[in-house]
Amino acid sequence: MRALALALRNQAVLWRQLPAINGHLVVALTLALVTLPQAVAFSVTLAGVPPHFGIYAAIWGVFFCALLNPSRVFHGGPNTAMSAAIGVTLLPVAAPFGAEYMGLALTLGLMTGLIQLLFFLIRPLGRMLDLISEPVINGMICGIGLFLIFKSLTTFGGLPVNTEVEWPLWIAWHSLLAVLEIGNLHAVEVGLITLVTCFVAQQFERLRNWAILLGIAAGTAYSEYLNASLGLQNTLIEQIGNLSSIGLIHPSRPLFNQDSMPDVVAIVPGAVTLALLGLFQTTAAMRRMSRKTGGFTDSRKAIFSDAVSNCLLPFLSSLPTCASFNRMWLVHKLGIHSRVTIALSALLLLLLVLFLARWIAIIPMPAMAAVIILLGANMIKWQDIRPHLKSRGEAVVFMASFLSVLFLDLFGAVIVGSVLAIAYSKWEQANPNISLRGNVLKIRGNIYFGSLPVIEATYHVAIARVDNLVIDFSECYYIDPEGIRWLAAAKAGHKVGFLDRRSGQDRRAAMEARAANDERRTGPRRGKRDRRQRSEF
Amino acid sequence: MPQFARKLAQIAVPVLALAGLYVLAVHKHAQREEIRRAAVTLTPGCTEKLARYALAAGPQYVSPYVLQRTGNRIGLQGYSEEDIRAIQRGCNIIDDTQGQLAKDRYRERWTATRYIRGSHLSCDHCHQGIGDKQDAAGNRLKGSISLAASWTMSDMYDRFTGLILPFEFKQMQCFINSSNGYKPNIADDVIRDVTAYSRFLTAALDLRIGNRYDEQGTDEIAASDTQKQGDDYIRGEALYKQKCQRCHGPQGLGQVAEGKLFAPALAGPNSWNMQSRNYFNYVSTILPGFICRNMPLGQENTLSNQQCRDIAYYISNLPRPAGDRQGPLVALRQQIMMTVMPPLVRIAETATEAEPHPKLVLEADQ
Repeated sequence: MRALALALRNQAVLWRQLPAINGHLVVALTLALVTLPQAVAFSVTLAGVPPHFGIYAAIWGVFFCALLNPSRVFHGGPNTAMSAAIGVTLLPVAAPFGAEYMGLALTLGLMTGLIQLLFFLIRPLGRMLDLISEPVINGMICGIGLFLIFKSLTTFGGLPVNTEVEWPLWIAWHSLLAVLEIGNLHAVEVGLITLVTCFVAQQFERLRNWAILLGIAAGTAYSEYLNASLGLQNTLIEQIGNLSSIGLIHPSRPLFNQDSMPDVVAIVPGAVTLALLGLFQTTAAMRRMSRKTGGFTDSRKAIFSDAVSNCLLPFLSSLPTCASFNRMWLVHKLGIHSRVTIALSALLLLLLVLFLARWIAIIPMPAMAAVIILLGANMIKWQDIRPHLKSRGEAVVFMASFLSVLFLDLFGAVIVGSVLAIAYSKWEQANPNISLRGNVLKIRGNIYFGSLPVIEATYHVAIARVDNLVIDFSECYYIDPEGIRWLAAAKAGHKVGFLDRRSGQDRRAAMEARAANDERRTGPRRGKRDRRQRSEF
Repeated sequence: MPQFARKLAQIAVPVLALAGLYVLAVHKHAQREEIRRAAVTLTPGCTEKLARYALAAGPQYVSPYVLQRTGNRIGLQGYSEEDIRAIQRGCNIIDDTQGQLAKDRYRERWTATRYIRGSHLSCDHCHQGIGDKQDAAGNRLKGSISLAASWTMSDMYDRFTGLILPFEFKQMQCFINSSNGYKPNIADDVIRDVTAYSRFLTAALDLRIGNRYDEQGTDEIAASDTQKQGDDYIRGEALYKQKCQRCHGPQGLGQVAEGKLFAPALAGPNSWNMQSRNYFNYVSTILPGFICRNMPLGQENTLSNQQCRDIAYYISNLPRPAGDRQGPLVALRQQIMMTVMPPLVRIAETATEAEPHPKLVLEADQ
């Protein structure tokens, strides 16, 4: 009886929540529809692998992340920068869309996952990710945005992709000239229609989330019209092609044999780049979204979920996953913060793909390129850039990291960015705020080996000018051993007084009492040394 | 209302910009179409070569060269007017890549010069005889880097890169490294025209696809083909001054007379770069082979294998542009070397009046 009542009540609760469940379904469907074209575009135009790689990343990558990541707005799946990095890494090694290339792409994903696992297991390594400052990440994102625009130009013009690796700015210029002079005009038209539709839809709040889908629909409709009226043999517009290989699960194995060893070794730097790119974006997006929603999720948990997902995904023929900031923003805006909804969206996408494969196959490639161009342009946002231009230090770091993406490869940019971020924070610490008022030299900041020369310069000026100098370090928050030695030497060499308002008389008396207590307990020597050290201050 | 206007402008400006780009593209396409339809003015070399092979439009093509040498009359599918123009343009590009003989460089070479950084290099410098070098009796020469023999081996395994290289990719490598240039798109007219010309040569010479002919590539000289004295920079320098400097100039910077190229640069900014196979420190057998078979002009095959290797070694150690994939630091270093070294060497040489070391030259000659 009781059980029945309970069941009835549960059902009543379920009934009352039905609108909410409906809401979950709508959100999940929206997410699936938004992710699908991105997944196809990233895998085909950027990573150089068949579309099912991206689609499986959008299914299983999102699903695993929803299971493993405790954040309620986290949305994983394929990512622009990572897909571009896969293409850049693998192009010199193998021919795109070939069997070897696909195998190596999976190997690259697995290596990425293993490296990320290292970041989880070695705690300080994971903490290093927090040292990457915002200007570095924003500079890299802007650089990658520009990179995406250049990279998709040839596909936009219906031209074969240049398979050389490097792409300095003049290659971009020549690609633009090639599109203008020898590009397939039908392809250019399809691309332009997609681009304009997406762009116009984006300008309206209501259509914004559907912009990509609308654009692709318009582009596909136009290309179908052209193919019907002129014939595919005359329009020569490349399409995504056969998706019949899509099934529930598509098991795969990374390429790892004796023949491929040189190639596998050659792509190790690429794997490091990929791992770092993924983790940067995941931690940065989590940090930003958490601050927006007012919640907090330990970034270590995000690293764990990314690492484990990326170790599993290569066996499901999928691209690696990491956080997608634009989709997370969408989840947040749709107003339902639930991991179940996100997992549901992944499964819905699987159903969609199983039934819509025929329609996805006719999407023209120039439309995909147009989507990438738009996403690239959206990555360069003035409101992200402007705050960094206000302070000179940040502006330098931002510009350097932006330019290093354009002039070096992505791996070089990651290195330059990390070094710059650390150098920047050290530089900030190395310039403490020092002021001389009367006979008080006040130091605000750190006293450590890096800042000592700056402090010394002012200190010697002050010593020459003032008789009984007092150094006030009550607003110092860190003194390293070298700083202590310097303070001791200053005290011994000149008649300098020290002022530390944090330790007033009462606290000093308490400390002395404790020291005396220690002396009684552990013997005189240690206590004496302690007291001597303290009295130097 | 102002908000609406702003929104409208926000949408209209980028859309109009895109429309402008589209109009520009349509205009450029029309321009290109016009150039492709225009009659081609051949260079003197091409006029002679194509006339010898009786290139003409028609339903059937019969090569007089094959008929004369073998007595077989082999009828192949003929060429349309459009094919003929493509072949003629391809021949012009090979013979005169820099467009020095053209009336309007941009129009007649269309995009050929756009893809080469320096002002010296031309395809014909390596692929001699407009890609089809023959002796006086009309025999094709071994290791003459024939374009025809190269086309028959296209889509075959390339032993340097380990890839199966289409002919178009091979041309791109030529543009990027051997002429230190930019990369044309694989669908570009330059690539298509050169391919058309190379294919025509195979028809004219009756070379069959998939076969390897002696005239393909260079007649490479490995270290094992010498007396194994080792490659020597000092011997190479002495030999260079004795045999090559008169045309190629001191320090291999090439010579230009009255605005026309007299001899191309072997080093410096107008030369091939450090990732070209002509670069001795990258592939050490190709440049010596080229020197032995083709240099000095008029005295071919007079240098010994060892001498060719020494000269190639010396030339390749002169400052030259970095390869595209070597990164910005190497590029910067090479740029500095190319700017700083030549004047320094000139000063040092005028100060010491350096003579070639007589003893070393004697040894190398033996």
